[in-house]
Amino acid sequence: MTVLNFINFYIVPGLVLGSIYAVGAIGITMVFGIMRFAHLAHGDMATMGAFFALAAIGLFGVSPWMALPIAMIMAAVLAVGIDRVFYDYLRERPKILTVMASLGLALMLRSAVQVIWGVDPVTYVRGIVRPDSYFGILLRPRELYTLLSLIVIVVALTLFLKTSKWGKAMRAMSDNPDLALLSGVDNRMVTILTWSIVGALCAAAGFMLGINTELNSMMGWHLLLPMFAAAILGGVGRVEGAVLGGFIVGLVEELSVLVLPGQYKAATAFVILLLILLVRPRGLLNGKVL
Amino acid sequence: MTPLLTMDKVRGGYGDADILQDVTITVAPREIVVIVGPNGAGKSTAMKAVFGLLHVRGGRIVFDGDDITGWAPNRIVRRGICYVPQVENVFREMTVHENLEMGGFLRKGDLSAAFDHIYELFPDLRAKRKSLAGDLSGGQRQMVAMGRALMLQPKLLLLDEPTAGLSPKYMEQIFQITRDVRDTGVSIMLVEQHAKQALAFCDRGYVLATGANRHEGTGAALLADQEVAQMFLGG
Repeated sequence: MTVLNFINFYIVPGLVLGSIYAVGAIGITMVFGIMRFAHLAHGDMATMGAFFALAAIGLFGVSPWMALPIAMIMAAVLAVGIDRVFYDYLRERPKILTVMASLGLALMLRSAVQVIWGVDPVTYVRGIVRPDSYFGILLRPRELYTLLSLIVIVVALTLFLKTSKWGKAMRAMSDNPDLALLSGVDNRMVTILTWSIVGALCAAAGFMLGINTELNSMMGWHLLLPMFAAAILGGVGRVEGAVLGGFIVGLVEELSVLVLPGQYKAATAFVILLLILLVRPRGLLNGKVL
Repeated sequence: MTPLLTMDKVRGGYGDADILQDVTITVAPREIVVIVGPNGAGKSTAMKAVFGLLHVRGGRIVFDGDDITGWAPNRIVRRGICYVPQVENVFREMTVHENLEMGGFLRKGDLSAAFDHIYELFPDLRAKRKSLAGDLSGGQRQMVAMGRALMLQPKLLLLDEPTAGLSPKYMEQIFQITRDVRDTGVSIMLVEQHAKQALAFCDRGYVLATGANRHEGTGAALLADQEVAQMFLGG
């Protein structure tokens, strides 16, 4: 196998899959860091976001990539709404209750998708797209845009968290919630901001998976394990860790077929999760201890 | 002189049990008041009562003309009292400068004068302003914690055992800075484990035991008191 073939058949798909996991894992790590619970509805929120984009394409007749920002806004509103109606009610109770509620939410969101859009797989666009060659590296436009979207999302989010007043407030809340409250940071505002960002990220992850494969009501649920593995591998609470973890999980999944039967691809994320919890529970970039 | 803060026969605790039994403490403007006492005397609890972190069931707390009994901490912060907890008092994953910025979160407009003021009080921090607070030494971290609290320009600063775990050198430095802060017009109430050193540097002190007032007076008078020396200061 030549180097180019290796890159085209394993590394490129690994990076594309890794980008999808990364966008999802950033959201998971933010909920972990700021809201302090494992958000089990994350995958199904991504499914919902992916179908929001489908709806936007149908309603406004826009191209898929133009539908993405619309879907992100819709998912942000949905996430804030879910927090208001469900999670807010459990805020002062033990966090395990919120985790369980999020599992219930996951089932509700999935059922809603099935009721509205049915259970058959659909795609954003029909037809086969030929990849373009970049010095021998074969990339389809959608793959290129997926990688570019990840870069845009990470740069924008990092700038927001590092330079804006409310971004810093979110980091402060993740770092030391009691002290953030003592400093007069408004908890409610941070919560709303966090959920809008997390909802938008869910839609982006679902959309990126949808445009590179297909849409179906279980797509997000299958993302949940690799996304959690990526978030924990990188270090809980760390955006850059989630990106690193996403790429590692994506690449390892694609490379696993070199040594394992293809059916075990999905199990590799589980192995990574187990190993990191055993060996280095704080993750590669020293996140919070769970 | 009218006191800035008056705790008048305050009774209360975290849950149902009363830890504080009619504690009375006053702090005058530009005064350093130290609360000492054996473990479990309710020193930190008394301080937390001022900051609204306690269920106060009796007595009242008056600050600068307002009865602040039962106020929520975020309202008390806005009114001009800042609190530095004993532990976990910095944002470890944020830089020194960002820690100060969070301290000034409620302030509107240009904060550069406020930053300059803090960096003048704590010259060590200016050099470290881009370091993560979690990477600093204990003493420097305490300075960040005080600096963060001072960003809101409080009238009263509450310090919970600021010298716990610090070397004698840093302890002296923290006491010196506390005096400097007082000289900028801020009243300070602090809880101390190092009773002898704290009484030597404060303006006035209170000795609490089992949640109640036991002795009070100037630092020098308390240090000279035979009973205080025997009870709490190890002879």
